[in-house]
Amino acid sequence: MSKIIGIDLGTTNSCVAVLDGKGQPTTLSGLDNERTTPSWVSWSTTGQVSVGTRAKRQAVTNASATVYGVKRLIGRKVNTDDVSWFARLAPFRIVAAPNGDAWVRVHGQPVSPQEVAAHILRRVRQVAEEALGEPVTRAVVTVPAYFDDAQRQATRDAGQIAGLDIVRILNEPTAAALAYGAHRVGEGRRLIAVFDLGGGTFDISIMSVDNGIFEVLATGGDSALGGEDWDRRLLERIVDEVFDQYRVDLTGIPMAMSRLREACENAKKILSDDTETLIQLPFLANDQHGAPINFERPVTREQIDSLTKDLLDRLEAPCVRALKDANLEASELEEVLLVGGMTRAPAVQAVVERIFGRKPSKGANPDEVVALGAAHYAGILAGYANDAALLDVTPHDIGIKIGDSGFAVVMPRNSMLPVRAKRLFATTSENQKFVSIELYQGDSPDVSKNRKLGQVVLDDLPPGPPGSARVELVMTVDVESILSVTARELRTGREASVTIRPSGGLSQREIVEIITRRRHEGSHAGALPIEGGAVRVTTREHAIARPDDDENK
Amino acid sequence: MATGPLSIKLRCASWQQLATIYRRDLSRGTMFLKAGTPPPLGTEVRIDLTLPSASVIVLTGVVEQHVTDPQRGDGVELKLAPIPASSVWMIESALASEAKRRDTPASGIPIIAAAHTTGPVPAIGDSEDVIAAEKELIRALLSEAESLRKLNPFLVLGVGYEASDADVRAAFGDLTKRYHPDLFARYESTELRQVAAEIFILIRDAYRKLGDDTSRAQALAALGRTAAPRAIPSHAPPPPPVPKRAQTQPIASVSTATPPPPSPRANMPPKAIQDSTPTAVPGETPPIPTAAVPPLPQSGLAPMVRSQPIPTAPVPPLPAPGVPPLHHPIPPPRSQPIATVPMPSSMTPSKGMPRIIADPPRNTPAHGIPRIAAPQPARPNTRPPPSSPEPKVPDGENNPIEDLMDAGKFDEAIGAYKLASKKNPNDRSARAGVEVAEGLRAMTNRDRLEAAQRFEAALEIDPSNERAARELADMRRQATNERKGLLTRLMGKKE
Repeated sequence: MSKIIGIDLGTTNSCVAVLDGKGQPTTLSGLDNERTTPSWVSWSTTGQVSVGTRAKRQAVTNASATVYGVKRLIGRKVNTDDVSWFARLAPFRIVAAPNGDAWVRVHGQPVSPQEVAAHILRRVRQVAEEALGEPVTRAVVTVPAYFDDAQRQATRDAGQIAGLDIVRILNEPTAAALAYGAHRVGEGRRLIAVFDLGGGTFDISIMSVDNGIFEVLATGGDSALGGEDWDRRLLERIVDEVFDQYRVDLTGIPMAMSRLREACENAKKILSDDTETLIQLPFLANDQHGAPINFERPVTREQIDSLTKDLLDRLEAPCVRALKDANLEASELEEVLLVGGMTRAPAVQAVVERIFGRKPSKGANPDEVVALGAAHYAGILAGYANDAALLDVTPHDIGIKIGDSGFAVVMPRNSMLPVRAKRLFATTSENQKFVSIELYQGDSPDVSKNRKLGQVVLDDLPPGPPGSARVELVMTVDVESILSVTARELRTGREASVTIRPSGGLSQREIVEIITRRRHEGSHAGALPIEGGAVRVTTREHAIARPDDDENK
Repeated sequence: MATGPLSIKLRCASWQQLATIYRRDLSRGTMFLKAGTPPPLGTEVRIDLTLPSASVIVLTGVVEQHVTDPQRGDGVELKLAPIPASSVWMIESALASEAKRRDTPASGIPIIAAAHTTGPVPAIGDSEDVIAAEKELIRALLSEAESLRKLNPFLVLGVGYEASDADVRAAFGDLTKRYHPDLFARYESTELRQVAAEIFILIRDAYRKLGDDTSRAQALAALGRTAAPRAIPSHAPPPPPVPKRAQTQPIASVSTATPPPPSPRANMPPKAIQDSTPTAVPGETPPIPTAAVPPLPQSGLAPMVRSQPIPTAPVPPLPAPGVPPLHHPIPPPRSQPIATVPMPSSMTPSKGMPRIIADPPRNTPAHGIPRIAAPQPARPNTRPPPSSPEPKVPDGENNPIEDLMDAGKFDEAIGAYKLASKKNPNDRSARAGVEVAEGLRAMTNRDRLEAAQRFEAALEIDPSNERAARELADMRRQATNERKGLLTRLMGKKE
């Protein structure tokens, strides 16, 4: 059986790790010796795909066909606020798929975020294969804890397209805690917070680490808040300034936007260490009269902090709520771990210190710790580590629609997995014949703000006055976060059930088509090696079957 | 005329018996069966040999000769087909794990429990080893889940009623490392993980109920209350028992949790007589107040109970009309702040829908039975006596019969229970006590099948008999451990 690798599929950078011979997780670097792979994918005019650093280098010359930040799009609808904000400043086109999902347009062709992510996964898989000298087919992939089912499933689909069996989706902060706590066995129970501010997402998890048991007590966050928002604030400000000064709208000039974007990101990074830097972009564009704009602007840390004050403020509420959900005071925490590149910023660290009342720990390498944790978890699943177990939770409330817009929670968020919850409901009208139970996931009491998961219809109810038919709803979420729901009328014993197969936006047929097309294209373009057997068939050789396969058994 | 082979189900009631059969018969490729009217020579025979641990090994063979053994009587000698390596392995490892305990002889002749014809025997090749072992493990886990469902949260976790937060967490952590579905991910069967998840959900729910002081106090109160209808004449509630789950596990990964010392707080809270809920059996659904209800066009449903993950419990029967509603006996658990549960607007009393009703009490076994004294029960032969025997709690409320059992005087205990049940034929606890004592005696004789049947009988007579429930759970856990060990070894061998 091949090794299971751990992949941190990040918004800006991805990283892969595996357990070494001694059972220690180590990050892998490919032939180019890079430990992280930029999550960038670029298509040349001839259809050649480059991934990682090579793709990022094309950001300037080939801006409209160079895609980054795809994690912000995966499994999301194009009409959400976060996507439209992202789309406004991205140098590539974001379009709506027929089902309303956000896709990107490359050389006039719509491409799903799953396919883009698959390119990145294929690349890190290749890195792992080069480093290990053996084929790799199975992986644990991390996602932000706050990802919903659609985003998770879309990530799984990306793995399938890349020919990787994603044996488990793991939450990033949990992975980080695992990497952190794995060496601290025998130190008694420690309560920690993992503050994970990456390129595109923010997660906060309150955990207890106790002799190999990693228990998530509560989790929260914002799946559309990350370091790229900081870049964008600076970018927007400069775009405005250029417009005021030269009357040129840079957003219409992809190459200028790419250069500016990169310069802003660099400036932000520098300002984590220095208090002042200079953005210099000669020949950025031409002004109204055709004269070149040689852009030059000093940026101070204070400026960027004031530009992003509202972003900093958005960090607090999820932390407070997570502490409350965990029934803990900040003072009871022993440590606050920082994960994600954006936590290098002094302003972010100051906010953390203010919320939790203590200086955060900076021991771990925030770029690699998540992948290391994923590799560790892969070891648990493969049976190499029997002394550890990870207890994760449901990130959102799950319930049903009541009345016109009410949301009755059946399974509260932060329920330890696997979990089963029951709730009893009564019919509301005389001789009601059936009930249609709509299942939703989300944290708002207003059901329309939550995401619909599916529905169960229970019919042939016994006639009678309102309340005479009583329906017991049982929800089970397994350790892979797959929800199944059974509704049963108690008097007749009649029941209906459904297992929610989250859809990431692509149907199984579409996924197979993509794989087939890629195989076909690959033989011409001579791009990355194309793997056979990408479409999984359930056989007993697959020790860890995906839940989707259960129905084929 | 039978179309398939003669199918025979054999039960080895004890490991000694298995060892005898194995040594004398199986290892030579033969098998002797007692039979008054022996089948004709050449008859194909399929034998489902049930081991004392409830594993089943399938043997096939043909009748080779009729024999009259001076010791064993009339019967037939079977010529067995080669026994699959996995079965030999299973027998040998089972015997090895029992070897140290073996000292009493048994007849060594299995009893033919049932015989009927079946279709052709499926061939079991070595490639099927792992699958067979997986199925074994699934069955063991299922029966373990079954017995855990009968236990109260304290017994599920194997902690004493006076356990602290840290005790509960440690016990939970220990069980998590054994039953979390992730730890079954390396095996090929998805069903295995699902069954493990079922067990883990029970463990998890117990942990949630005992995880902090407040909820633990509630759980204790709930136990005290459910004991009310089962009050046992002439016994005040004795001190809580000290579960000893971890003591009977022969295979690796034995929990080292030791029972806490006897608690000075000897009594459970006396059960409050609740005049209003005489018929409110645990698990029963609270009644629904009937009220004028406006129709809800969308889902057509109104919530009736607070959400709360709970272990699988029997379907509650419809309540008797006129029973007043219960009120919250159990507060919202720590990780599930009910305060944050949005109240659907359609449920506000202003609309005439007093729909949210309290949870019923948990379906936990009551503890109306006299308990074991806190010191470790010494089981001669099976368990080493405690190195420094603690003095018994000088507690007048201790049940002397339990003491007898703890001292290994099972015959005396059986006698005493029988006497008690004669005096008071309605005393279920006494009748159950007979079965428990019989079961414990069978255990000391290493007759696990007999013991399991006795404990099950005790639970049937008196479902609140904690000792029987616990012993049964112990046995099943042990069976699970053995199978897990076997499966892991088989997989290791393959790799």
